[in-house]
Formats: sequence, structure tokens, C-alpha cells
Amino acid sequence: MNKLIISVIGEDRPGILAAISDHLYSSGCNIENVSQTILQSVFGALFIVSTSVDMEAKRLQAILTEGVSKLNLNVFVRKHEFVTHAAVLSQPFVITTFGPDKPGLVRGITSIFARHAINVSNLKAVFKGGDDPSNNVMIFEVDVPSATSLPELRQELKQAAQQLDLEINIQHRKIFETMNRI
Amino acid sequence: MLSEREILSTLAMLRYEHLDLRTVTIGISLLDCVSDDVNRFINRSQSKIARYAAPLVETVNRIGDKYGIKVENKRIAVSPIAVAGAPFSITQLIQVAKALDEAAKSAGIDFIGGFSALVEKGMAIGDRALIAAIPEALACTERVCASVNVATTRAGINMDAVVKMGSIVKETAELTARADGLGAAKLVVFANIPQDIPFMAGAYLGIGEPDVVINVGVSGPGVVKKAVDRALEADAMIDLGRISEVIKQTAAKVTRAGELIGREVAESLGVSFGVVDLSLAPTPHAGDSVGEIFQSLGLRSIGVPGSTAALALINDAVKKGGAFASSHVGGLSGAFIPVSEDLNIAAAAAQGMLSLEKLEALTAVCSVGLDMVPLPGDTSAETLAAIIADEMAIGVINKKTTAARLIPVPGKKAGDKIHFGGLLGEGTIIPVNNGPDENRFVRHGGRIPAPVQSLNN
Repeated sequence: MNKLIISVIGEDRPGILAAISDHLYSSGCNIENVSQTILQSVFGALFIVSTSVDMEAKRLQAILTEGVSKLNLNVFVRKHEFVTHAAVLSQPFVITTFGPDKPGLVRGITSIFARHAINVSNLKAVFKGGDDPSNNVMIFEVDVPSATSLPELRQELKQAAQQLDLEINIQHRKIFETMNRI
Repeated sequence: MLSEREILSTLAMLRYEHLDLRTVTIGISLLDCVSDDVNRFINRSQSKIARYAAPLVETVNRIGDKYGIKVENKRIAVSPIAVAGAPFSITQLIQVAKALDEAAKSAGIDFIGGFSALVEKGMAIGDRALIAAIPEALACTERVCASVNVATTRAGINMDAVVKMGSIVKETAELTARADGLGAAKLVVFANIPQDIPFMAGAYLGIGEPDVVINVGVSGPGVVKKAVDRALEADAMIDLGRISEVIKQTAAKVTRAGELIGREVAESLGVSFGVVDLSLAPTPHAGDSVGEIFQSLGLRSIGVPGSTAALALINDAVKKGGAFASSHVGGLSGAFIPVSEDLNIAAAAAQGMLSLEKLEALTAVCSVGLDMVPLPGDTSAETLAAIIADEMAIGVINKKTTAARLIPVPGKKAGDKIHFGGLLGEGTIIPVNNGPDENRFVRHGGRIPAPVQSLNN
């Protein structure tokens, strides 16, 4: 069994998933995972498919590119290698920021994550501009390694947020689950 | 993955709507500290309190930070001192009160409750001494709170105790005359007192409770008001059944936040978790008021006709939401209407919209009773006892908790301003019918029998 990973990007319109999945089916691919999102008017999706060993990434990319040429999409296919990382004990936190938009906000916060080996499992950021804090929000769902000193991390993030004119909240994920889910 | 809405709605409650944990209260039994030697009792009690309460503030703050929820107060509730200190004299009990005050202070805690007696059916020797010690004990301490349960639905109303408490309330206020009778703000007279209230001034650790236990008091009148406002914004003609649903769902969310933190604090301290008391407990800050909810619901002010029905709706919806969200809801759980502690309710009283009589009617459907009500200083002890008796009757007949925290402010009359400061707030003294006069009814004393439990009309 061979696994391939496919990324698809282009202007959103009806029929993209139908076209991609049709060509995958005809090429003998089975979709194992797919995740799609729409940012403003742009469609983006990642597929992991299993296929026979003789289907090469390059050939599937050519088939898909040719097959969906009318939809003006960028398709990229590569071999999916299994990489297993040693499990790191971690705690899930949600870090949210509010504040006026300007260049460097994501960089300012994520550089601290990188330094502490904190993995971002989900990021949503909306910058609509203007001064209304709720129009400029970053929501990071992160895994903080258990060995990380929370008070130090909190202080570093608060300091960075202050320099960026952001209000920052650092909360364990459980509070959101507990309050919103039965 | 969490949804954006889940994250942002929770954050809005915390950032803009004053959702907080009003109190994490550690209940500590002092029954294993008993002795007929007061110094030995004090030493044992202080060291037990220190052992469990010393790490409380740091633990609660750390866990509050972890979830991004502010915990306003950390408090201690101990076994009723009238039981634990039954052999002691009045003077010795005042010494005990001072020791409790010191113990709370060294643990960095602002209130310690449990200078209490349970006398619904009669007074034992320890009860008599404790009640007699209350005025001086509250005057010479800063953090001690006292409560006396004088009635239950099963025992009836101990009118001898009610009469006694009329005098004790008056004397307590007089001994703290310089602070507008502040001592009386730390004294509550109860009917059907729950054993696990985390809120002050009524908190004590009941006899049937664990050795050490964490009870949590969650508040959130601001959150409920905003939820009601949003529902009305979406549909101005929304019916009251749907408004009740909105309050219920909001109460459930708030309760779950309280339970999460309470359980983690208990686990971290290695003690049992007791209950979440979900009560809409206002503070003297705009946006953190129970009175404002009445206005959102379309009433000009709390106190005008319609207020009792509105409070019944709010109180019941809060209880239902809490009971759904947690299997361990206890304490008072409902809506408080403390006059001086709620800016909006204090203003309604000052404008004459809310009278003592209407307050009493509201207490038939709220979670406590006549709470933080400033009265003229010349209100006689007998009139105070009669107001207490009325309030106890409402609780006993309706099988609910009621309480009276009355402050006859020395030297002041109806319409005068009073100021307690901090969470106890400020307000205007409200008039009392027949205030300074005698009241021969209460003088009969004895016990009003327990009510019949059938023929419920």
C-alpha cells in the first residue's frame, strides 16, 4: 500500500470536491482523510489517499492537474511518509489575542511557541482591521509540553502581547469544553 | 477542535460580563479539636486551620490562572462553634472568635464563618453562651462571621431565640456604631440553614459534612443580564418561557465552570469536593447586579409590581440550570437580593421603589431573604425580632431557606446614607412601620409549631 498527500488550492466555487474525488476514484485512490477550509474566497484542501504501489505522486499530480484544469486549481501531490515522533506529554491550552491589526502579530506570538517547543494544533486568525478588538482575533490551540514552566510562558506571552498592543488570554482548553459541551 | 463560537462566547463572559467564582470556601471540621480547656481548643483549631487553609490562596490562584477565571474570594467555614466550644463561657468564646480571626488572617483569608449556633428547637448551654458572645465577638474581630438558625420546617420557629436575636442584632450594630453598625452585616439569622453554604456571612460547616471539604460559590448576574439582553435584541417580543430557557442555559454554563475549578482545587489539596452553589450574587459594581436583570426584563425597577413574578422566574431558571449542569449543587443556589451590596437594588430602595414589605414578599421566591437591609437605628429590638419572625415564617412554611441580615444603623434614620465599603457596599436606610415601638406578639415567646405537611393550599 502506498500513501500520497494531495494539496489543492484555488478560487472557491461549486464542484471542486466532486471533480477531485471523481479523478481520485478513477485513478484507484481511496481517500483516508480530508480537511478543507475557505479563507475569504480561497478554497484549500489536504487529502491523504491510499493507492496501489505503482501510482507515483508525479503521475497522479499530472492526472489531477489535467482533470481539473477548467477549475483553475493548483494541485500538488507528494508521497506521504509515516513519521512517528516520540510522544511528548503535554497539556492543551487555548491562547487568544485581541487587538489592532498590524504586521508581525502571528510572528511575535508563534516565535515564543517555537522557543518552548509548543505545537500549534489549530490556528484561526481574523484581521478585519479597525480598532474593534473583536474584529482582530487570533485563536491558537496549542499543546504545551508538561515540562514547560507555565508562569514563565505566561509572562513571556504577556510581555510580547503588550509590545504588540494585544490583549492575551492563556487558558487550559478544558474550560471551553466544560462550559460549552454536555 | 473547538469552535470559534465556543471560545469567543466563553471569553465574552469572562472579559465583559463579570463571570467569576465569587468564592472558594474550605470547610474545616473543628470537632476533633474539642477540649474543655479553651487554650488547648484554640491551639488545636488554629493548627488544623493553618494546615488546610495555608495553601488555599496559592492553590486557588494557580488554578484560576490556568483556566483564566478570576476567583474573587477564598474563605473558611468551620464547625458551629456553639457545638465545638460548648463548654466555654461567653468570655472564652470571644477569645475563640479572636483566635479564628487570627487564623484567617495568617492564611490570607478575608472571612471565616462558623461562629454559629443551631437552636431551632431549643438552646443548649453552648448555644446560649455563643449567642451572648456574638456582639462583642463581631465588634472585636474583622473577619469572623456569625449565624444562628432559629427555625426549620420540621421543628417550627423558636420564638425565644428570635426574640433573643432581635436584641443581639441591635447590640451588635451598636457596638460597631462608628462603622454604621458593620458588625450586624456579619450576622445572619436563618430558617432551614443549609450545611454547605460557601457564601458569607452564612457559611459554616455542618455536622453531617466531611472533615475537610471544598465548596464553591459561583456568581454571574452580569452574564445572565447580558444573555437576556441578547435574547431580547434578537426578538423583542420573546415570551417568558423562552427567557427562562436562556437563563437556564446560561446558569448551566456558569455552574460547570465552578465545578471544574472546585474539583481541581479539592484534588490539589487532597480533600473532598462538596458542592457548587450557583447563586446570582451581586457586587456593588455596575454590570454585576441582580437589580439590572429586572430592568432588562421590562420592569422600571426591582420593587414595582411584577417584581416577585420576575424573581420567581429568575430564581427557578437558575436552579434548573445549576441542577442540570452538576450533580452536586448545594448551598443556597438561586438569586440573592442584598440591598446594600447591589448598586441597582440600593438605588431602588433609595428612590422608594422598594420597600421593606416588598422585599419581604420577594424573599418568598428568592434564594435567601432580607439581606443587607439597613434600617433606622431607633428600630426596637422587638420590632427587629418581629421582622426576623416574619422572615422565618416564610421559610418554614415554604420549606425553603430564608435569612435576615438586618443592620439597624445607630444614630441614623430612614433616608440617611450609609457606607460599609468593599463588597458590603452602601445604601440608604429604608423605613420600618412601627419601628421604635413595642411588639407584644413576639414577647409571648415559646415555639411556633412545625407546619402541617399536607393540605398545601
